[in-house]
Amino acid sequence: MKAVQRTGPLSLLYAFMDATRGRASVNGEIPRRERPIGLYILETGGCEGCFMEVESLNGSAFALEQAGFVCVSDPADADWLLLTGAVTRVCAEMLDRVWRAMPPGRSLIAVGACAVDGGPFPAGYATLGGLQALTPVRRAIPGCPPAPQEILHALEELARV
Amino acid sequence: MMGMGRIIRSGERVALSHYHLDAEQWSAMLSAPGATLPLISCWADDARAYVLLLEGDRPLLTSTAVEERRYLAPSSRFAGAEWGERVAYDLYGVEAMDAHGNGASALDEGGWTSTWPLSSRPGPAAGGLRPLAGSHLLRPEQTGLSGPLELSFEVRKGKVRSVEVCAGGAHRGVVSRLLGRTPEEAMPLVSRMTAGGFVAHPLAFARAVAQARGLVPGPGIRDVWMVLLEIERMSLHLFDMARTARGVDAELLATHCDHAREAIARACAEQGVSRRLMDMVTCDGFRDGLEIVPLAQAVHAVMQPRLAALEELHRVFASRLDGFAVLDVRLAERFAVGGVSGRASGRSMDMRRREAGMRLEALRATGSSQGDARAREGLRLAEIRDSLKLLERILGSIGLEDDEPAPDRTDEGIGVAEGARGDVWYWVRLKDGRIESLHVRDPGVSLLPVLGAMLRGYPISRVPAALGSIGISPAGIAL
Repeated sequence: MKAVQRTGPLSLLYAFMDATRGRASVNGEIPRRERPIGLYILETGGCEGCFMEVESLNGSAFALEQAGFVCVSDPADADWLLLTGAVTRVCAEMLDRVWRAMPPGRSLIAVGACAVDGGPFPAGYATLGGLQALTPVRRAIPGCPPAPQEILHALEELARV
Repeated sequence: MMGMGRIIRSGERVALSHYHLDAEQWSAMLSAPGATLPLISCWADDARAYVLLLEGDRPLLTSTAVEERRYLAPSSRFAGAEWGERVAYDLYGVEAMDAHGNGASALDEGGWTSTWPLSSRPGPAAGGLRPLAGSHLLRPEQTGLSGPLELSFEVRKGKVRSVEVCAGGAHRGVVSRLLGRTPEEAMPLVSRMTAGGFVAHPLAFARAVAQARGLVPGPGIRDVWMVLLEIERMSLHLFDMARTARGVDAELLATHCDHAREAIARACAEQGVSRRLMDMVTCDGFRDGLEIVPLAQAVHAVMQPRLAALEELHRVFASRLDGFAVLDVRLAERFAVGGVSGRASGRSMDMRRREAGMRLEALRATGSSQGDARAREGLRLAEIRDSLKLLERILGSIGLEDDEPAPDRTDEGIGVAEGARGDVWYWVRLKDGRIESLHVRDPGVSLLPVLGAMLRGYPISRVPAALGSIGISPAGIAL
């Protein structure tokens, strides 16, 4: 990291170089797909820790796209829905709306303990207690919250299935 | 004629900073002549209505009985009390008389299993979701925030005129889950209140519990708490800076923020603690096995060399944030907006300055007080530099003794922690060692009444970038 201490006219060049150098690379072979898997991230009422870790994964410190994934901002472009949070009763309608907007072949993945069974926020007057209240949870990434690298590894595993 | 503070102190003192007022005193307090003390928070339950005020830099809590489910509205004097009154109605069905504002739901959008769920007499479920008023909506998944927050707007010629907020999507019924638990049983849930305060929230709670029990944490514990809080501050500032930078297409700055934040997380993990410092704070100190000196050294070592590049990149891109989403200092003062948003507008409130044992010489961050996104971003950077200095000072004199006196045990306490996004407050009352009553004030709540002014005149498409630059957590607001 010594280079980034240099300032002056070349500082931006150094900044570009360091930005590339610092990025974590994908372990193993890079998957070959016709197109990347589109990920849509939805927070449904948790502490937001899992959502922020997925956002970090989508940032520049991880090679998400190199691993064959791309985060999308429209559910119509998504293949997988990454759901974080305990699923509040108010958010169930939002979840349904987003799920219906996704094209056929869609998959639902619970990210973090809350998304599976509510974690520390089990069913109550305002919460359903995770996805399991709505549907069998077949694809889940455990953790409270899982680290971005753990989420990436889990996504790669799920993509191989 | 007595001023507000004196009227409050004429009531019955029931705890270190808490005075009970009868209905007449409460009314006199709300119409007291002279200056209005800044309101930190307002809340009510079945039995009492409360306002937590700030007198200088000291909290002053007052409350009055709720009679026949009604109380005289604090918002008749404190404009910022409106949100708390709306929450109290949604949760307990207690009504604020002569309230300022339209009384719309703050949390209950329909869909709950009962109305007034925390009341001793809850009502039947209201049925399906109620649509929000307003000509335009920004749905919870469209705000760019980390959690669900629904915004409705009145729009004129494509520009925002006013904003209404409903946070029901993020409401998890946290308070109801904490009542009846011991503070130790409650701590794991408090530690998951919001990712915008994995340290700040449990720390404010631990301080409130310590005061209720008549305890003062020793200097060693106090310094560990300070170190954890500063590490979290740097990490969250970097997160908010990256989000703000992306909002104005400053991807290179965002990239460096991402890398720096990840470096801090890895340094924490390598020292055997969780990446975001979750579950580090306990009611009586910190997690067993936490080695604070190597943790602070490791974080300092990865962060210090990155600061120059961040400052350089900030200089390059800062003009893109000029004049964007301005918070006027008068509004910041009126609504006691804290944290970076408040300080960047010129409200110089930092609750760290009143902490015993604080190395004040490290807290030097000053900068623009324009109140815009540029001022906030610049201040975040300056505060990261201060955090590094503070780590150095603490490492140089860790556990330095002082003689802070312990308060009397009253089973009631107020705790505050100056988190990255502002001052987090907890009030707790214990009975037989268990939580009988509790209130949480996340700093995001103080931003709600100023959102309209900050967003006025912008197209709705710019709202997510503005929200990103003020660092707001729906989970903290809604609980």
